[in-house]
Amino acid sequence: MSPSRKRVDCNRTSLRQRAVALAIVIFSLCASAASVAQPGTVLRLGNPGEPQTLDPHRYNLRLEETLLTDLFIGLTTFAADGSTIPGVASSWQVSDDGLRWTFNLRPDLTWSDGQPLTADDFVFAYQRLQAPATAASLAYFMYPLKNAAAVNAGKMPVEALGVSAPDSRTLILELEQPYPHLLERLLYPTAYPLPKHAIETHGDSWVKAENWVSNGAYRLQEWRPQAYVHLVANAHFNPAPAITEVFYYPLANEQTAYNRYRAGEVDAIATFPSGELDYARRELTADLRTSVQLSIMYLVFNSRVEPFSDARVREALAMMMQPEVLTDKVQRSGNVASRSFVPAMVSDYQSVPGPQYQLDLAERLSRGKALLAEAGFSPDRPLEITLRYISGAEAKRTALTIAAFWKPLGVKTQLHQAELKVHFADLRQGDFQVAQAGWIGENNAEHYLSLLVSDTGDVNYGGFADDQFDAMMASARQEADLDERNRLLRVADERAVGLYPVVPMYSLGVRRLVNPKLRGWNNTPRDVHPVRFLSLEP
Amino acid sequence: MTRYLSIRLLLTLITFWVIVTAVFFLLRLAPGGPFDGERRLPPEVEQNLRAAYNLDQPLPRQYLNYLLMLGHGDLGPSFKQKDFSVAELVISGLPVSLTVGVMALVMALTGGIVLGTWAGLNTGTKTDLLIMGTANIGLAVPAIVVAPLLALIFAVWLGWLPAGGTGGPLHFLLPATALSLPFIAAIARLTRGSVAETLQEPHITTAMSKGLPRQRIIRRHVLPIALLPVLSYTGPAAAALLTGSVVVEQIFELPGIGRYFVQAALNRDYTLVMGVVIVYAAFILLFNLLVDVCYARLDPRIRLRS
Repeated sequence: MSPSRKRVDCNRTSLRQRAVALAIVIFSLCASAASVAQPGTVLRLGNPGEPQTLDPHRYNLRLEETLLTDLFIGLTTFAADGSTIPGVASSWQVSDDGLRWTFNLRPDLTWSDGQPLTADDFVFAYQRLQAPATAASLAYFMYPLKNAAAVNAGKMPVEALGVSAPDSRTLILELEQPYPHLLERLLYPTAYPLPKHAIETHGDSWVKAENWVSNGAYRLQEWRPQAYVHLVANAHFNPAPAITEVFYYPLANEQTAYNRYRAGEVDAIATFPSGELDYARRELTADLRTSVQLSIMYLVFNSRVEPFSDARVREALAMMMQPEVLTDKVQRSGNVASRSFVPAMVSDYQSVPGPQYQLDLAERLSRGKALLAEAGFSPDRPLEITLRYISGAEAKRTALTIAAFWKPLGVKTQLHQAELKVHFADLRQGDFQVAQAGWIGENNAEHYLSLLVSDTGDVNYGGFADDQFDAMMASARQEADLDERNRLLRVADERAVGLYPVVPMYSLGVRRLVNPKLRGWNNTPRDVHPVRFLSLEP
Repeated sequence: MTRYLSIRLLLTLITFWVIVTAVFFLLRLAPGGPFDGERRLPPEVEQNLRAAYNLDQPLPRQYLNYLLMLGHGDLGPSFKQKDFSVAELVISGLPVSLTVGVMALVMALTGGIVLGTWAGLNTGTKTDLLIMGTANIGLAVPAIVVAPLLALIFAVWLGWLPAGGTGGPLHFLLPATALSLPFIAAIARLTRGSVAETLQEPHITTAMSKGLPRQRIIRRHVLPIALLPVLSYTGPAAAALLTGSVVVEQIFELPGIGRYFVQAALNRDYTLVMGVVIVYAAFILLFNLLVDVCYARLDPRIRLRS
């Protein structure tokens, strides 16, 4: 054998050896990837994006609320069916005037580091939330507390806030005016207790995993930016949850979320492309969970500017709206048509549909034409509108459909799209004519109707102002009795819908895919699914 | 050479400063701010936020503050990722982006050179037509189309590879492939042309007429010359691959810095956008500098001209 031939053979052998070694490495990688999780105890969930913070006073997004619901428990908390139940408070009393709420905390409360949790931690948290230095963007969630707005504006010291702890197990909240929905408001992370000892020791870096302390069923184990947030069961939480570890993956891209779910990499995803809904209805029946979220998507008219300051013009345009056509024929993504501004699913409240729907479509068309003619518009001088919408395929189709609804009136609609930030920045400045807007709210009518009160601020995007409606809302807000308050709110609601400051369109549909082996997963109005109620069948 | 180097270095630093300044002011010109969202912010809250991030100061002052901070090697706090500093986010994301970039570069060079050489040695045949046809498609179809297709085929239908996220080297395979395809195509085209041209050179004809083995001619005489244009393409290609995974990272949900780029821009997270731009700019400028230096070493005319 010549030397060169021998060298070639050596090379071949080493190549083969390398190939075998490479195959072993790849297979062991596959094996290690598959054996990371023990089935039944580890849950892998898709969250629709990366959280921006886990500090309950700095959070701003619903996807952060999802995580915080697992990490903390407030005075009240969500039950498995989404209703409000006592959390760390075992009972409470309300004074007759509805202004003073006394909460009795459960005995033996502890933080995840074993330190006792006392009423002082609530006082500390509520004062921190309103302190201007915290710069909490959702501080106003707790403005029902006495002096909260003034403290937040730096006009009063934090000690003036209506919160006190006469002893370690009693918390007293004093309110600015009666607020019967307080128990629901306490569900938000802005009302959680915070670990005073940990924040005083670590300052702003108390949110780092190594310093983390919380009182919910889980605590923060690790957060790898854009990769995952890893929670583990809090050993001091009672009862111990069935799921011991949770990985929340930020799956901002709906298609990727869908791919990863179908590849079996996650147990549940928050949403997926609407185009796949028909397929999921046919092929993924055991996995598909659709529900409606407490929310209202609507069109808002800029009532400050001509011609939308004229109620006749607003009414004419509202006449032609067909929410059912929009959701069932055009969008087909699970959204549910709404004829009322307060969503029909709000409990203890009879929602008020727009009066235009008492007429049939032909009557609405002739009434709409008559109204526009009265307002001075004609085929020679048609109404020209710029309709603003948020960039996106579904929003565009929605806007095109609305333009088509208005066409029979002789209205010329121009579409103007902008990304979400720009859209809402312009809306708040009143820089629009007609625009798509939305509100994901609470389970009470007031939360929605407040958007139309003249002193609400820039979130009353259209600058709608009606003295009579304002007075009706003010008198409802003075009422501590919930039934009477709702009755007064309904009177105000009836006044507002007749003036057409907005046109309700639909409530958001939720489409999720959930591993059929995941037990305890319920559809809930606020679309919350605390992991402590879930378990995974092996 | 020293003079040439110092001039190049100075120009690079000036370019860097221009980029930082332009991006700083362009960001502030964009409508909307970091604290705009669909939820209401009362004026006092917005004021608190603006004060906390020094946004209540006049713009020139903010700019000087930023430059000062940068001078100290501090990229500042992220406006939106409130629990992390920009430096922490970059440190966490950069290794991921670099891994994908380096893998893609290796794939691009290997795939491109092998295919290009093969086509170049068989010009005018069906093989050549097939390879170049595929390469043209590879060049024309963007990653935003190829990447979801790869995920659908290899992750959802076949179940061979993960559809996204991290967890091991396998997670990088699809993203790196998607990222490298246009570069494989580009390098293949470059190599093919160059190989075909070199084959016409008199010294190759001589080598062939002397009866040297074909393999040896290709390896010893054709490729070293034919690969020179590929080498000069590698500099910019490396910079593009290491910083170009923005789309691929979005589609495969990879925790690299490319994802911050898009999200931070949409969120008006001024400091984070600046941080990512600085990293990208540093890479691109560095690779350009390296290429310049290499050229200067190889070609004395460039040195002398400067």
